[in-house]
Amino acid sequence: MASENEPIKPPPLAALDEFLAGEEVAVGSEVPAGIPGRATSERVQKIIAYIALTLIAALFFVPFLWSLSTSLKPLPETANFSLLPHTWTLAGYREVWTKFDFARYMGNSALLAGTITFSSVFLASLGGYAFARLRFPGRNILFFLVLGTLMIPDQLRLVPIYRMLTFFPVTHWNLVDTYQGYWAIKMVSASALFLMRQYFLTIPRDLEEAAKLDGAGFFKTFWRVMLPLAGPALAAVAILEFQGTWNDFFWANLILQSPPHWTVQVGVAQFSFQYGTLWNDLMAATMIALAPVVIVYLFFQRYFVAGVASAGVKG
Amino acid sequence: MFHWGRLLAVAVARRRFGRARRPGAGREALVGYGFVFLPMAVFVLFFIYPMLYAVYISRYNWGILGPLERVGWKNYTSLYHDTLFRRAIKNTLEYTVWVVPAQMALGLLMAVVVNQRIRFRTFFRGAFYFPSLASSAAITAIAIYLLNIDGLINKIFGLNIAWFYDTRTALPAITALNAWTTAGTMMLFYLAALQAIPTDVYEAAAIDGAGPWRTFWKVTFPLLKPGHFFVAVVSIIGAMKVFDQNYIVSKGTGGPDYSTYSIVLDIYNTAIKDAQLGLAAAMGVVLFVVIFVLTILQWAFFGRQEAA
Amino acid sequence: MRRFLTLASLCAIVVFSAVIFVAGAQARFESAKAVAKTTVTLTGWASSPAETAALKTTIRGFERSHPAYSVNYAPINGDYPAAMLAKFAARKPPDVFYVDSNVAPDWMSQGVLAPLDSYIKKTHYSIKPFFPRLLSAFRYKGHIYGFPKDWSPLAMETNNAMMAKAGVKPPKTWAQLVSVAKKLKAANAVPGGQPVCIDPDWARMLAFVYQNKGTFLNAAKTRPTLLTPAVRQAVNFYVGLQNQGLSGTHDKLGVGWCGEALGKEKAAIIFEGNWVVGYMHDTFPNVGYKISPMPKGKAYGNLGFTVSYSIGKNTKNKAAAFKLLSYLTGPKGMRLWTSQGIALPSRKDVKIPAGRSAFIKQAGYAHAWQFAPGFSKVIDTANNELQAVFAGKESVEAMLVKVQSAANDALGG
Repeated sequence: MASENEPIKPPPLAALDEFLAGEEVAVGSEVPAGIPGRATSERVQKIIAYIALTLIAALFFVPFLWSLSTSLKPLPETANFSLLPHTWTLAGYREVWTKFDFARYMGNSALLAGTITFSSVFLASLGGYAFARLRFPGRNILFFLVLGTLMIPDQLRLVPIYRMLTFFPVTHWNLVDTYQGYWAIKMVSASALFLMRQYFLTIPRDLEEAAKLDGAGFFKTFWRVMLPLAGPALAAVAILEFQGTWNDFFWANLILQSPPHWTVQVGVAQFSFQYGTLWNDLMAATMIALAPVVIVYLFFQRYFVAGVASAGVKG
Repeated sequence: MFHWGRLLAVAVARRRFGRARRPGAGREALVGYGFVFLPMAVFVLFFIYPMLYAVYISRYNWGILGPLERVGWKNYTSLYHDTLFRRAIKNTLEYTVWVVPAQMALGLLMAVVVNQRIRFRTFFRGAFYFPSLASSAAITAIAIYLLNIDGLINKIFGLNIAWFYDTRTALPAITALNAWTTAGTMMLFYLAALQAIPTDVYEAAAIDGAGPWRTFWKVTFPLLKPGHFFVAVVSIIGAMKVFDQNYIVSKGTGGPDYSTYSIVLDIYNTAIKDAQLGLAAAMGVVLFVVIFVLTILQWAFFGRQEAA
Repeated sequence: MRRFLTLASLCAIVVFSAVIFVAGAQARFESAKAVAKTTVTLTGWASSPAETAALKTTIRGFERSHPAYSVNYAPINGDYPAAMLAKFAARKPPDVFYVDSNVAPDWMSQGVLAPLDSYIKKTHYSIKPFFPRLLSAFRYKGHIYGFPKDWSPLAMETNNAMMAKAGVKPPKTWAQLVSVAKKLKAANAVPGGQPVCIDPDWARMLAFVYQNKGTFLNAAKTRPTLLTPAVRQAVNFYVGLQNQGLSGTHDKLGVGWCGEALGKEKAAIIFEGNWVVGYMHDTFPNVGYKISPMPKGKAYGNLGFTVSYSIGKNTKNKAAAFKLLSYLTGPKGMRLWTSQGIALPSRKDVKIPAGRSAFIKQAGYAHAWQFAPGFSKVIDTANNELQAVFAGKESVEAMLVKVQSAANDALGG
């Protein structure tokens, strides 16, 4: 077997050609059913596996089914633990949309999550590529700095960052309660950069070297050759950044203070009080808040194309 | 003679200046700096500077509006004797030791499953990732409900445990909850890493006659090394910083009986409820050092990536 | 072509972002010029939609009677202390904001609140109508740092149907509490629950301590006084209710807090404040219950949970802020605020909302729920230790010793 440090090299550019031709990369072959009698037991195994998987998947969904059913109950009924509501009502959803400015919160969240996802994907892939493939002095130190930023808890950054936002160095802007301030803090995330770097490390060098022979500059190599190959990693970063921004409460609560600027999570927090949560409103709001994240996830997960031949690890 | 001398000179020069003497190295370095400039600016401004600020104020008794008195290392020595902080460290380490392997194993398992060309793959990908989609506040609210003494979980297993309010089960319940929600994210990372493995590898293994189990352990698993490193580092860092669930479940007290007291919860209480920013900064520095050491250890084990 | 497009789009993004940045920053400078009225910012947390509605009514009352002012109300959802801490540290506090009596010692001692004495004198504002114990919660070193906007003590809520079934009336003394609970148990009036719901929470148990003439700290707040017979007795009584099988904690009853126990009819007697009334009305409208004063131990004793309106030390326009503050806590403003009963007036000259007399009656012996600066960890410790006692893992004496020593550490003694 090949040594552990070097990934197996495919024929140069074959994967790239396939991908650009619009085919699914890395399509494998089925295991030939050679041995007679093997087909039936395989079938049974398969069915058992599917059943097990479906049960597990159902398990993952059950808590949200409860959320959904609570959102359809009237408030007094949320006290009992039945899975199905006795009285079906959309009062929770109606209250959320009308009494609270939920459409606006969704809009704010969408704006912020969208811009941050874009900037993050771009900057993280750019930086990740540089850390993985470009040589510059101090690269390892800088990378450790990047890793180091992950280790700092938000609570510790609270005061210095807020002070900085009220009086930004050099330009003296007041960025509190602005979208710009929020974007500035979350423009790119260290874990996204880290992920891109790890991914780029696994791409064989021949591709870049071929591009160099073709006379491509650094940015061109990055843009035309490496980025298209990084589909799955980019999808992962996009999903995580969108979701991370969408679900963020700490910084949104701190920075986006006036009600017109509130995001979904800050809006949802309105329904929990010290004494007495409005459960049906809270669950309705949670369901509404979940929808865009689910959509974004389903959209991007298709970039994880079929990677492994069934011969590899069969269920 | 002359010829040897020149060779020697070149050899010496190569040793002294090594890589820098490659053609275009200067330009590559500039491009490299250019690419990482904006991210590094963000990190320095919003992460490194606050950290340095924390290191600075940890030497003081620092109140809301500024320093109250300079205490030198006293904050750190008082932490050494602080039973609450030590308990927080113990709880957090215990939690990390359990949750990280669980998350990684689950994530890897799910990734391998949904990476294959099975039917309804999209559905399974959605189902497995679903718990990770919701915000931690929402998930914890749901969990509190389900783990109620009369709740669904107890009904299914015929138990009578107040999961989040019993000192023996509170932290394990949070561990299980977080393993469940974060495994989906790990699945995502592993999925991306699995995508990078070209299929010829598997074809070669099949030709060699390796069964699925052997293929996984001898081929897939080792090739996932960059993925393992990433998942392990991110997992451990996230686990050491656990806060949201502990805060919500214990209403900020770290109970019952200190069982859910985590390091970041201590930092939060010290900074925000007690307004002792210097002491909180000292705690943050200690946390940072602990995580840093753990990460260095992982780098030594997994991470030596030949990046250049 | 492709190259041009990508370059162009990159440039466009950069320019676009820069424009947004600069435009946004500039807009803040410009909008400040356009205002003719004086704007006062008001911040707090929202406890319920009913409360937010009442507050908005009160604000409208202010704006109508003071046309030169306009109020910018921006509540903080979720983490109030963290957001306020950041604002204080940046020296940009809102003009008027809530201060919980529990954090007041910390904020007052750290100098983030503005003393109100000079404004009281200038405007001849009378502070006599405030309940003295509530106002003194916001006094520090002889200065006043806020006016209590409302308050609530604890009271005893009893389920009518269950009490009738056992043939008992709401108890008036500790002894009666025990005997009533025993009768409720014997008559099986609370199926699936316990007669009383009490939690391992000093914010409830301390009321019983006061009823036994004990205290947590001495009057000067320099020493803890937990290792006294009065305190020991009270704690033993409180914990004893559970040991005799007469009470249960919220988690054992399967509810989030004791108010929910009353609503789900898992307990017949609970001890909660005015906030339970709105909760029951919204969530459990069909459960009939009665509000009575807390039972008497050796004396009457209770806790007073109160919140003040205060002005920040670094607030720019303190005079305008005081105008709003004095209205909100004045007779007119407080009447608007409390008329629906979501809060109780902290002034003697405001009419008591309907059905709340049992709460107001206890104003004379309610002790403000607050301690000394730096005490929040001590209370966390105290609650954790009390939880251990309730779980049977620790003796009452051991707990009191630990809490006493934690309090001594915090007081610097």
